[in-house]
Amino acid sequence: MSERNSDDAGKTLEVDLPVSSPAGEWHILSRRDFLKIVGVGASALALPQIVAVGVADAAPQAQTYGPNAKGMIIGDPTRCTGCRRCEIACTSFNDGKSQPALSRVKIVRNMNFGVRGEQGGAARGEGNYGNFLIVQETCRQCAHPVPCQLACPNGAIEIAGPVNARIINVDKCTGCQMCQAACPWAMTVFDAAKKKSSKCHLCNGDPECVKACPNSALRYVPWQDRSRDVAQRWSVPAYLSTPANVASTCVQCHK
Amino acid sequence: MAPLGGYQGKILRVDLSSGKITTEDTAKYKDYLGGTGLGYKILWDEVKPGTKAWDPENRIIFGVGPLTGSGSPLSGRTSITSLFPVNIQELPGTGHMGGQWGAELKFAGWDSLIIQGKADKPVWLYINDDKVEIRDAKHLWGNGVFRATAEISAEVGPEVQVAAIGQAGENLVRVSCVMCNRSHSAGGMGSVMGSKNLKAIAIKGTGAVQIAADKKAWKDFVYEYLSLIGANNQGVVPTTPQPWAEYYGATRWNAQKGQFWGAANPPVETGVCSADDLNKMGFRTHKGVLDHGDGPGQRHTVRGGGCHACPIRCHVYTDVPALETKYGVSRYNANTCIGNSFGKSFFDNLASGSEIAIEASQLGCALADDYGLWSDYGQFPRDILYAYRKGIIKAKLDPKEYDSIPWKLLDAGDPAWLLDIMKRITYKQGELGKLFADGPAFLEKKWPEIAQFHQTYESSCWKDAHAKHHSNENGGQVGTLINMMYNRDSQCHTHSNYLASGLPLAVQKEIGAELFGTPDAVDANNNYTKMNKGKAVFAKLSLVYLELHNSLTACNWTLPVWVSPRKDRKYRGDIAMESKALAMVTGETVSRADLEMTGMRILHLFRALTARYMNEKDMRKNHDKANEWVFEYPADKPALSAGVSRMDRADIELAKDLFYEEMGWDKATGMPTRATLEKAGLKYVADELAKQGLIA
Ligand code: SF4
Ligand code: SF4
Ligand code: SF4
Repeated sequence: MSERNSDDAGKTLEVDLPVSSPAGEWHILSRRDFLKIVGVGASALALPQIVAVGVADAAPQAQTYGPNAKGMIIGDPTRCTGCRRCEIACTSFNDGKSQPALSRVKIVRNMNFGVRGEQGGAARGEGNYGNFLIVQETCRQCAHPVPCQLACPNGAIEIAGPVNARIINVDKCTGCQMCQAACPWAMTVFDAAKKKSSKCHLCNGDPECVKACPNSALRYVPWQDRSRDVAQRWSVPAYLSTPANVASTCVQCHK
Repeated sequence: MAPLGGYQGKILRVDLSSGKITTEDTAKYKDYLGGTGLGYKILWDEVKPGTKAWDPENRIIFGVGPLTGSGSPLSGRTSITSLFPVNIQELPGTGHMGGQWGAELKFAGWDSLIIQGKADKPVWLYINDDKVEIRDAKHLWGNGVFRATAEISAEVGPEVQVAAIGQAGENLVRVSCVMCNRSHSAGGMGSVMGSKNLKAIAIKGTGAVQIAADKKAWKDFVYEYLSLIGANNQGVVPTTPQPWAEYYGATRWNAQKGQFWGAANPPVETGVCSADDLNKMGFRTHKGVLDHGDGPGQRHTVRGGGCHACPIRCHVYTDVPALETKYGVSRYNANTCIGNSFGKSFFDNLASGSEIAIEASQLGCALADDYGLWSDYGQFPRDILYAYRKGIIKAKLDPKEYDSIPWKLLDAGDPAWLLDIMKRITYKQGELGKLFADGPAFLEKKWPEIAQFHQTYESSCWKDAHAKHHSNENGGQVGTLINMMYNRDSQCHTHSNYLASGLPLAVQKEIGAELFGTPDAVDANNNYTKMNKGKAVFAKLSLVYLELHNSLTACNWTLPVWVSPRKDRKYRGDIAMESKALAMVTGETVSRADLEMTGMRILHLFRALTARYMNEKDMRKNHDKANEWVFEYPADKPALSAGVSRMDRADIELAKDLFYEEMGWDKATGMPTRATLEKAGLKYVADELAKQGLIA
C-alpha cells in the first residue's frame, strides 16, 4: 500500500489499548468508542482541536490514544554500503518510479558527509568523505502522540493497515507539508508530481526496502518505542508549540 | 519530446565561452541511447577533425542513459567522452566513472550533459534540478578534489553529488582524471575539464526516473535479474568450497565463514553467502582481501562500497591509522583494483599482502584521488620504475634535478616516496615531472628507450603506449582483437567476465556454443587453439555489449549475465536482460536484435570517428595493432601452445579477417563498408567518410 484513501479508513484498524497510561491524565477511549469514531470514516486521532496538548489556553479536550505500530524498520549503519537499493525499492515498487527524494528510507542525505553534514570538512565526520559510516534513517512509527500526525491540520495521517503504520490518507492530504516540519527525524517526504506528502507505511508489514538490501543492513523488527531518541534533524515540534488557533492560521499559506 | 519512461527528454548543453545554457531534445539522439553512443555522435556532429583535446571547440560529454537512475541493477555509471589527451593523436576516448553522480543527473531531469567552450576564469557548474548556474571557482582552484567537494557541499548542501578535478587536471597533466563520490574516477579526462577552466560539476536532483512497466512486473523482473548476478566480474561460483555450492573456482566470490570487515566497529562477518540469498550479495566480494591480501585486507576494511543501484560492492573502504601518523594524510581511503594498486606500482620492492604494501596503496589513493591523478592502468608508474632502474633517468636528467629527487625512499620501499613523486607529476615540477605528466605516449617520443621497453612483455604495454587490459591472456584471439580497438587501454570486461565465471571449462563451452555458435569459441585459459568463427562472434558480442553498457548505462565490470549462479538454470544467464530492462523502463518494444543493432551502430560510429580523426584508410594496419611481445613472449615456447598466451602473427591476421567479416567491415582496410553503415542508419557517416576519401 503506497497510499491510503478515505475508503480505507477503519477497514483494518485494530486497537491495542494502553496498559500503562497514568490514570486521570489520559482519557482512554474504550475499544468500542474508538472504533465508533473511526468507523464514521474520519480519523479520531488528528482532528485539529485535539492538537493542543499542554497548551494553557486550549479548550480542554478528551485526549485520544492511537495504537502502537506492530513493527518497525531499523538500520545497521556498519553494514550499509550506500548502494541505495532500498531507496530504489521503496519508490519503484510502491510508486512506479525511481526517486530518492520520495523514498521513505533515507540514505543519500547522510551518505557523503554523515548526519551532521559537511561542516567538519572532509575526513572528520561520517559518510563517504569521513569515516565511512552511513546512518540510514527510517520512520520510527512513533508512539502516541505521533508528531507528524498531530501536526497535520487536515487529520490526514491515520493509523491503519495490518501493522498499524502511520499512513497518509491522500484524499485528506492537501500537500501543506506541515508534517515535514514536524517530524524530528525529517522522515516524511513530498511527492512534487502529485502534490501530496508521503511517509513510510511499512509496506503492509512486508517492507520492500528490507527485502532489497544486499547487505542485510535493514531489518523489520517488532515495534519498540524509539520516538524518544535524540532527533537527528532540526524540526519544529509542531504538536507542542502550535495551539489550535495558531495551527488554523497555518493553513492560510500551507494549502 | 514527451518524457517517456527512463528518458527525461532533454539534454543539457553548457557553453562556457559564452555562458549560454541551452537544452537539446533527447529524441534527436535516441538511436544512440546515451553514454558513449551520445558522446561519439556529438563529437562526430560538432568537433571537426584536427581539433585538439584542449581546444575550446572540443566537447566533453558526460553521458548517462535511459537505465541510469532507474534502479535497474548496476545502472549507476557515467561515460565521459571527449578527445582523449593521453592518446598521442588525441583520438576520441571515454573515461568511465561510477558512483552516484550519473543517477543524480537523471534525477535532476537531464539525459546527459554536453560542455563546450572555455570559461575565462575558473568556474564550477551547479545543476539544481532545472536551475543551472555557472559559479565562480576562484576559491576552489588550486585545491584538491576533496576540498572542492567539501566546499561546494557546504555552499549548497551535503546531499549534492560533486564531480571535480584536482590540481592535476587544472595543471593540464594528461594523466589526470575526473573524480566523484570519493573513490570513483573517469580516467584521462581531468585535463579536458582543466582546459575549460571547469573545476567541478555539482548536481542536486529531486525528480524521478519513470518506470513504464507495471510496478509488480518491474519488481519481478528486477529480482529475476539480480538472481542471475554473481559476484564482482560475474564470478558465479565461490572461490572456496561452500556447503551450498556445486563448484568452486578462481572468482571474486570470496566470502566465507570467519572472514570479516575487520575495521567495521564492531567487525562484520561476510560469512556464507549462498547464491539464493540476495540479502547477502553485498558481502560476496570482499575486495579488501582481494586487493590487500587476507591479513591487512580483513584488518583494515571498514566496508564495501560502489555505485548507485548496485548490490555488488567492488570498492573497498579502509581505515589505516598509520597513514595519519606516518604520512599526514587521512586514515580513511577507498578505491578498487588499479586505484588500489596505483600507489604500490611506484615500487618493485614491497612484499605483497604486507602492512607496508597497504600503506603504499592507501597513501596512493589519498594523494591521487585528491590531486585527481590518473594511473593510466599502471602504465606510467611502470615506465618511471623501468627508467629509474635502467639508469635512463640518471642519464637524461640534469644532475641537480636528479639529486633533488629522494630515490633512496624508493630504494628503501618507503611509501613516503609517493609524497614526492605524485606531487612532482601533479605540479609538473622539473623535467621529470613534465615528462611523466604527459603520459607514456608522449614520453615514448622523447625517450626512445621507453618505446623499446613498451615492446616487451615486462612493460604490459599493448599498443601506442597504452596498457594492455584483459588482452591475449583473456581468451587469446578474443582479448587480442578487443585490445586493438580502442584509443586508450581497452576497457572491455564482457569477455573477461565470461571467462572469469569460475565454471568448469565444459560448462563454459556448452554455454559458449549457445551464445557464439560453437564450443570452440572458448578455450582453456592459456592454452589457446587456432582462430575460428566462434571467437570472432565472441569478440563482436563482447564489444557490442560493452558499448551498450556504456550507453544504457550498465556496469561492464560485472555484467552481462551470460552465465549465472543458478544451478536450476544449469548456470545459464540471459543475454536478453539488457533489452528486457530497456523495454520495461521505457515502455518501448525492444528486442535483443534491436538492441544489438544499436550496439553495432555505436561501434561503427566510433570506428568511423577514429578513422576520420586519424585521416586513415587502413585501420587494419595502422590502428588495429599489438606490440611485439604479444607474438614473441615467451621466447622459449611456441605460440598457441600449452601454458602461454603467446599469439601467432598469421593466426591473428586470420582473426582480423573473421572479425571484420562479423562486423561488416572491409577485410582489406578494417573500415566499415558503405552497405554496413547504411544498414545501421549511418548513411551520413558513409557520405562523410567517402568525401574524405576514407571509404569507397
Ligand atoms: S514523526 Fe517522523 S518518525 Fe514519527 S511517525 Fe511521523 S514520520 Fe515517522
Ligand atoms: S517499509 Fe516500505 S514505505 Fe517504509 S521505507 Fe521501507 S519500502 Fe518505503
Ligand atoms: S540497501 Fe542496504 S546497503 Fe544499500 S543503501 Fe540501503 S541500507 Fe545501505
